[in-house]
Amino acid sequence: MNKLKEKAKELLSSGAVQVVVGYEEGTGGKIRPAFVSRPEDADKLLYNADCHHNLALYLYKHETKRIGKMAVVAPPFVLRSILILTTEFQLEEDSLVVLGVTPEEELIEFANFKEIETWVNQHPIGMKEKDREMLNRLNAMSRDERWQFWQNEFSKCIKCFACRGTCPMCSCFRCTVDYNAPQWISVGSHQLGNFDWHLMRAMHLAGRCSVCGQCGEACPMDIPVHLLSFQINEDIFKMFGSRAGLTLKKESLLSTWKSNDVENFIR
Amino acid sequence: MARIGVFVCHCGENISATVDCDRVAENASGLPGVVHSVDYKYMCSDPGQTLIKEAIKEHKLTGVVVAACSPRMHEPTFRKACAEAGLNPFLCEMANVREHCSWVHEKTESTTQKAKDVVRLLVEKVKRNEALQPIKVPVTKKAVVIGGGVAGIQASLDIANGGHQVLLVEREPSIGGHMSQLSETFPTLDCSQCILTPRMVEVAQHPNITLWSYSEVIGLDGFIGNFTVKIRKKAKSIDEHLCTGCGLCTQKCPVRKIPSEFEQGLGTRPAIYTPFPQAVPNKPVIDKLNCTYYLKGRCKLCERVCPTQAIRFDQPDEIVEVQAGAIVLATGYDIKRTDFFPEYGYGKYKDVIDGLQFERLASASGPTGGMIRRPSDGQIPKNIVFVACAGSRDPAKGIEYCSKICCMYTAKHAMLYKHKVHDGTPYVFYMDIRAAGKDYDEFTRRAIEVDRTKYIRGRVSRIYEKEGKLVVVGADTLLGGQKVEIEADMVVLATASVANPGSEELAQIVHVSYDRYKFFAEAHPKLKPVETNTAGIFLAGACQAPKDIPESVSAASGAAAKVLGLFANDELTREPLVAVVNRMAPPLFSTCIGCFLCQPVCPYNAIEREEFKTRDGKLLKAVARINPGLCQGCGTCVALCRSKSIDLYGYSNKQIYTEVSALLDEALV
Amino acid sequence: MDQFEPKIVAFVCNWCTYAGADLTGTSRLKYAHNVRIIRFPCTGRIDFLLLQQAFAKGADGIIVSGCHPNDCHYTSGNFHARRRWMVFRQMLENMGVEAERIVFSWVSAAEGAKWADLVNETVESIKKLGPYHKYQDMAKSLEEWEVTHE
Repeated sequence: MNKLKEKAKELLSSGAVQVVVGYEEGTGGKIRPAFVSRPEDADKLLYNADCHHNLALYLYKHETKRIGKMAVVAPPFVLRSILILTTEFQLEEDSLVVLGVTPEEELIEFANFKEIETWVNQHPIGMKEKDREMLNRLNAMSRDERWQFWQNEFSKCIKCFACRGTCPMCSCFRCTVDYNAPQWISVGSHQLGNFDWHLMRAMHLAGRCSVCGQCGEACPMDIPVHLLSFQINEDIFKMFGSRAGLTLKKESLLSTWKSNDVENFIR
Repeated sequence: MARIGVFVCHCGENISATVDCDRVAENASGLPGVVHSVDYKYMCSDPGQTLIKEAIKEHKLTGVVVAACSPRMHEPTFRKACAEAGLNPFLCEMANVREHCSWVHEKTESTTQKAKDVVRLLVEKVKRNEALQPIKVPVTKKAVVIGGGVAGIQASLDIANGGHQVLLVEREPSIGGHMSQLSETFPTLDCSQCILTPRMVEVAQHPNITLWSYSEVIGLDGFIGNFTVKIRKKAKSIDEHLCTGCGLCTQKCPVRKIPSEFEQGLGTRPAIYTPFPQAVPNKPVIDKLNCTYYLKGRCKLCERVCPTQAIRFDQPDEIVEVQAGAIVLATGYDIKRTDFFPEYGYGKYKDVIDGLQFERLASASGPTGGMIRRPSDGQIPKNIVFVACAGSRDPAKGIEYCSKICCMYTAKHAMLYKHKVHDGTPYVFYMDIRAAGKDYDEFTRRAIEVDRTKYIRGRVSRIYEKEGKLVVVGADTLLGGQKVEIEADMVVLATASVANPGSEELAQIVHVSYDRYKFFAEAHPKLKPVETNTAGIFLAGACQAPKDIPESVSAASGAAAKVLGLFANDELTREPLVAVVNRMAPPLFSTCIGCFLCQPVCPYNAIEREEFKTRDGKLLKAVARINPGLCQGCGTCVALCRSKSIDLYGYSNKQIYTEVSALLDEALV
Repeated sequence: MDQFEPKIVAFVCNWCTYAGADLTGTSRLKYAHNVRIIRFPCTGRIDFLLLQQAFAKGADGIIVSGCHPNDCHYTSGNFHARRRWMVFRQMLENMGVEAERIVFSWVSAAEGAKWADLVNETVESIKKLGPYHKYQDMAKSLEEWEVTHE
């Protein structure tokens, strides 16, 4: 990871960027996002398998944009998020230096976003064993058991919206859940309000999720909300042959259609 | 506070036979916000409407629900009545208790209950209706017609004769299109140029028509009534005001061997040229790709001989923006060339030609002076084979449609040949003879019976050369698929009609949809054949699908009628049921974050980008804006928008959400 | 046991299915009275949140119907809707919702008989499934919450 530190230092000292968004060790040995704006601080940057925050979240926020031009430490799921956000006009290529990091903890530099597109297509992201097992378990359940599973899980939800807050794809500053005329989603954290919220969020992410799993990580009640997105992501691949975050083309799944989309339920 | 009036119609007995109308009215009177509720025999009758109008005034109603037939039947009636009583027409809703209730259920308690429910639902909706004003947009009464073939000419003349300005834009140096290349026209065999050239001259002389030849449309902005068309006027390298069209330059130009586009490569032209003698405008252009001066920097012979010093070698292309209220697309068609048919000789046999080439051979003004002489050696062919459906109706060739004009022009070709070569024998290979049209079947019968054309029902599998003859190998399906071989001196392929190359690009420039064959798509295949899905853009002629001359002209006049109808008004009035993206004070401007996922969703390209900038031009935020002139109100963007930043007048989130909620509020069944 | 009469909400587009249901009426074809129709300009306008709301409000079944592919009044609204429903339906399955309680159909303005059949068949199939107690019980949590948060 020395290469990463050196590169960050170089970018900051040359003035090419004013801030490097990356990872550092926080209190209790936990990894946390880092915003490095002085070359001498670049040494605290690190990257390893525990770095799970999706840093793409910070790339379009006013608070970080105000500092100046950014560089970002980007594991594969951040790379995908960057591509999605670019197709949704939330990021501009010339305002960002992308420091890719591979699962083997190697630094890759990208001359442009086109190169990111090529790279992510050549490097599929595998699901974590734990998540794969959970999905298998859910798929093996009867539908009523799945209902019960999610009802139990959602009963824990306190509507803190950490899942939304940590997700770079929740880029709206006014979410449907904040809308009260009509009150699409009930304010309270009761069974119906929680169910409506998680269903709506999963739908709004369908075809736009970079499968980072950060929403599940962020949940203080340990609800595996990310599995909703993971599963629909697999289903979407089966139905439409596409995955989000692999293209710079502006063709989001639910913004487009094909006359030969194949379903088996419309009479 | 809402003051809603409910009016329950018996429709004679159509509703009251199965629905207890007075109980529906009574029930409605107890709904929150309802201040007046009555039932009546015929609400749509004059006394019925008067009942509503008087109640609006008397009870100061803020909303009206008429429980009667389908809104598809009488919504305009009742909205008009409300407007006459001073209530905004969009504050009137109809509860469908006839088609959706009384007519489809027996007389039971459940049927009356359903009527009550439907009324309650609409009462809840109408409380959230907004007074809407019709959208008015000014109309620029000038049309741009793109393409100067017979369709474009007809559309231009019709609009101009209707008293409005027309700009006719033609890509080539002259208008006339494919029709000007034709020898004679079916089914009357009158000379194509004789009927077309007077129209071309009329275009040139018409006070309401401006003709820009050698020009292309390269951009289009705006919407119905208010288009801005960007046009590239290609440099002709002559000063049109000085040029008299004397033709001296074209006679003296030393470059003479350029294959003539107009003659389909069967004749030649110089580098400074008019495509044909009757060209309009009849002033030459310099073909820069072949002119010695442009290629080598010297020559300028034309400049020296020009008596009016009209040659301008340094003339640049000019890009001009034009305001227009309507656009007519009349860009026509093209045909497949012989090289599309390797089985018929890859275009390697000079005497295998296409239909347009035959037109030139048969034309009195053509390269052979109207003698049918084959291209290879100028001999007059004694055996000639016409192959219909060359490429058309052939899934293997990727063209599944019928090109429509070939049956007729092949019969015409056979006749023209026979009239010129009395001792010759014309053969026609065909799949079916499609001669539906006024005097069309009679025409093909004449080709067979009077002019003795030998029609063979079957397809040609291959053509090869043997001892100076072209051997045409086919099958006669009427003889059980028996193999037929004809030794021909010349073969004419009636190749498939296809969309003009560049039609896809133009469709994207002007935002109209096109079909899988790249023909422009009409708004409705039966009822809107000359409209496109983009309001204010119309279709004329074969750019929509293969068409013969009378059809092209009819479509052109149809398109012109639509344009004239549009121009009959100073303002366009549209139903205000359109989508809108919310706006708020800076620095937010809108809850829209400008992800523009809605943009590809809109079938009408109505979603634009609106940028908010600081005084010194720095971009603060870009958000979506819906052009009310283009939006048709489908609401697909509304359902897609994650932040609920878009809403639809008439079917707003509040209205529909309340409907869903109200519907199930009470015991339903 | 009392005869269970399911509550069915129909979300239909104005141009095809609403007109088709009008035709059912003008043809005097009879069908079950359990359905309440809500008119939309286009199936593309139907927000999935409205389906959630219908279930929460006690619907036992939902019909969603619009123009056949290629017949959309707005050319492509139904194609967008179809893709949206493909994803939404799968999402409901994944969360354990009885997705077959939502019946999707294309009913044209000429298919009055198809509309009658569609309603009748939907009512029959929902009768077999019974009331959607699971969802309705979940929805009761809202009322309880409202009482405690008055």
